[in-house]
Amino acid sequence: MAQNAVATASKKPKKEKRSQFSGMSKALVRRETISAYLFLLPSLIFFIGFVVLPMIMCLVYSFMDMGLGESGTFAGLSNYVRMFQDPTFIQGFWNTVLIVVVAVPTVTAFSLWVGSAIYQMKPFTRSFFRCIFYLPVVTGTVAVTVVWKWIFNVYYGVLNQVLGTNQNWLGDEKTAIWCIIMILFTTSIGQPIVLYVAALGNVDQSLVEAAQVDGATKLQVFWKIKWPQIMPTTLYILVITTINSFQCFALIQLLTSGGPNGSTNTIMYYIFDMVYRYNDFGYANAMGVILAIIIAIFSAIQFKFAKTDNG
Amino acid sequence: MKKTKRVLALMLAASMSLGLAACGGGGDTTQSPTGGNNSTPSGGASGDTVELTLWTYPVGTFADNLDATIEAFNKVHPEISITYETIDYQNGDTKVTSAIQGGTTPDLIFEGPERLVGNWGRSGVMVDLSDLWAEDAASDIADGVKNASQLDGKYYMYPLSVTAHSMAINYEVFEAAGALQYIDEETRTWTTDNFVKALEAVKTAIDNGTVNVITPGIVYCGGQGGDQGTRALVNNLYSGYFTNEDGTAYTADSEQNVKALELLQTLVSEGKLDGNTAFVASDELQAFANQTCAMTFCWNYSNYVSYAEQTQFTPYVMAFPSDDGVPELEMGIYGLGIFDNGDQAKIDAAKEFIRFVCNDQTQATECIKQTGFFPVHENFGDVYAGTDEEETKAPFALMSTYTGRFYNLTPGWTEQRTNWWNMLQKIFGGTDVKTAVDEYVSASNANIK
Repeated sequence: MAQNAVATASKKPKKEKRSQFSGMSKALVRRETISAYLFLLPSLIFFIGFVVLPMIMCLVYSFMDMGLGESGTFAGLSNYVRMFQDPTFIQGFWNTVLIVVVAVPTVTAFSLWVGSAIYQMKPFTRSFFRCIFYLPVVTGTVAVTVVWKWIFNVYYGVLNQVLGTNQNWLGDEKTAIWCIIMILFTTSIGQPIVLYVAALGNVDQSLVEAAQVDGATKLQVFWKIKWPQIMPTTLYILVITTINSFQCFALIQLLTSGGPNGSTNTIMYYIFDMVYRYNDFGYANAMGVILAIIIAIFSAIQFKFAKTDNG
Repeated sequence: MKKTKRVLALMLAASMSLGLAACGGGGDTTQSPTGGNNSTPSGGASGDTVELTLWTYPVGTFADNLDATIEAFNKVHPEISITYETIDYQNGDTKVTSAIQGGTTPDLIFEGPERLVGNWGRSGVMVDLSDLWAEDAASDIADGVKNASQLDGKYYMYPLSVTAHSMAINYEVFEAAGALQYIDEETRTWTTDNFVKALEAVKTAIDNGTVNVITPGIVYCGGQGGDQGTRALVNNLYSGYFTNEDGTAYTADSEQNVKALELLQTLVSEGKLDGNTAFVASDELQAFANQTCAMTFCWNYSNYVSYAEQTQFTPYVMAFPSDDGVPELEMGIYGLGIFDNGDQAKIDAAKEFIRFVCNDQTQATECIKQTGFFPVHENFGDVYAGTDEEETKAPFALMSTYTGRFYNLTPGWTEQRTNWWNMLQKIFGGTDVKTAVDEYVSASNANIK
């Protein structure tokens, strides 16, 4: 009975909508429809031209053997088969997974911690901290990279000076990828912090106060009241950080070129290498398809665990 | 509804990645090419005007002077207007590859045979310049340069200038360390044994605090450009060759090359050299300029000019050390090529520009000086004679007499460069030399089709 009531209720707005349109003249409906499509057109053209078409091209090219200046020949699944026999791709895959598995949780947790710490501060102090943490985001990647390269320099780098070591941070297989993860971390936290500050500021204070009156501890208030309300923001941050981590490229190109010994090689960098050094477009596109599938799987897992209706 | 939203979100996530791959990888955060310019008398297309585009890699000050070059050209050919753009070595190849795929290549491009002939010529996107080479003007160009400009009988480059890639030492540091005794200052050569002794002397001087550098030398192997320096170092130490004579196989696994790499590995492990897997050539050059190291393996006149203001010491040009004291240096040739855009009028106009820049003695002399190198035309003689640069150019001219076999057009060249860096990284990371070299040779020879 109750289910029927819900079903009837959910159908009502549609009926109202129809009646709303039935009250309009056909000419007016057509005019409004045309206007709506015209407004949508620029975005639609952009979306088709720069998202849908490249996606389709990528998929088609992934089944082809294509070199520089060639139109390509059909190669079936050979690019995909080759990928799983290519040790460089496999190494790149595991490096990519390491970056994602380390960077995503740390960026999210740190951003939440900083956001929680500063969102109740005075507006000036809060803005100050937001600026500080957002600075690496608005600073160009090249500039940031140059500074980090200087910090990690084996001969006169600040890090070695401070630690009193003689470590070649970017030139050692054991440390290079962790340096990349650290820089990625610093350049990734800006946006999540700003989002968390905004999300925490929008938490319903009446619920917080009610819980406090009922004797809830700070931890309980956070987990039972605030956390569910900031879950959509968390999900967004998780997905975006995951995608950015999977696509980590510029840092690697500018700092290590995938070395030493492929220890910082990622799928994204390997795709670039295949296109611009080896001119193997078919193989690069096949890797692009696989990367997209991996990202989709990771995102799906995040959606599943987030268990939210707001996503 | 909930499901639809999730599917849409996943599709969006996937599209972000796929879109990037299809567009050729995110070059959004890399350095963009430096300025473009337009030097046209008519200011654009009109009537019979042929409009050309020229891309140039930064070779000396050639690009900086293109306005004047085009202006001089337009006095002779007012019907041809030229727009140019400078592309850098970090992103230039990416830009050209994208342009080839997108059908937006320039008409003319200025660089060396590795790219013009070995890469783009081999891919069939360049115009055959055999007719230019058949003209009388080309008769005084040395066979070595001529051979480097062609592939299977088709000429994809017309050369302007030539140089020899060398190395350089910090003269004052060597003097203070007592290492000058190990070099022949007249011929600017040294033997492998003396090279090792010089490194020992500099290392001792560093340990004693006599000289203020951190390491005698850095063998950079972080990747990208400057690989000719490390190749020349390895090949010369025990007179090995990089490829076999007919260019059908990479021969880093020869007895001489393995011995050379083992020596370098030992020198690195003893601290007499630093095998830096994080440094690229530009890092090493910067370290040389700011006196972090006492020598560079990536030197030529262009770099001399680039770092002139920073070097507070004498960068002393030297040939690479060799067991017999007779070096064989790698030749650097620079010239113009034409992309085949299918427009015969443009191709003809581009050839006129090449004739003007490379064959017209007055203009070519100017352009050669701008590159900082030496003429390919034997009839031009010494273009620096009687100029302020005569003295500084002399040691670089001397290096040009040591040029050896040009092997840079061997098939699979681009792929072997990446393999070469990986091999050096492995060797300096402690991998057995023979194992690393065998891997390199096997992977590189597999790309020779």
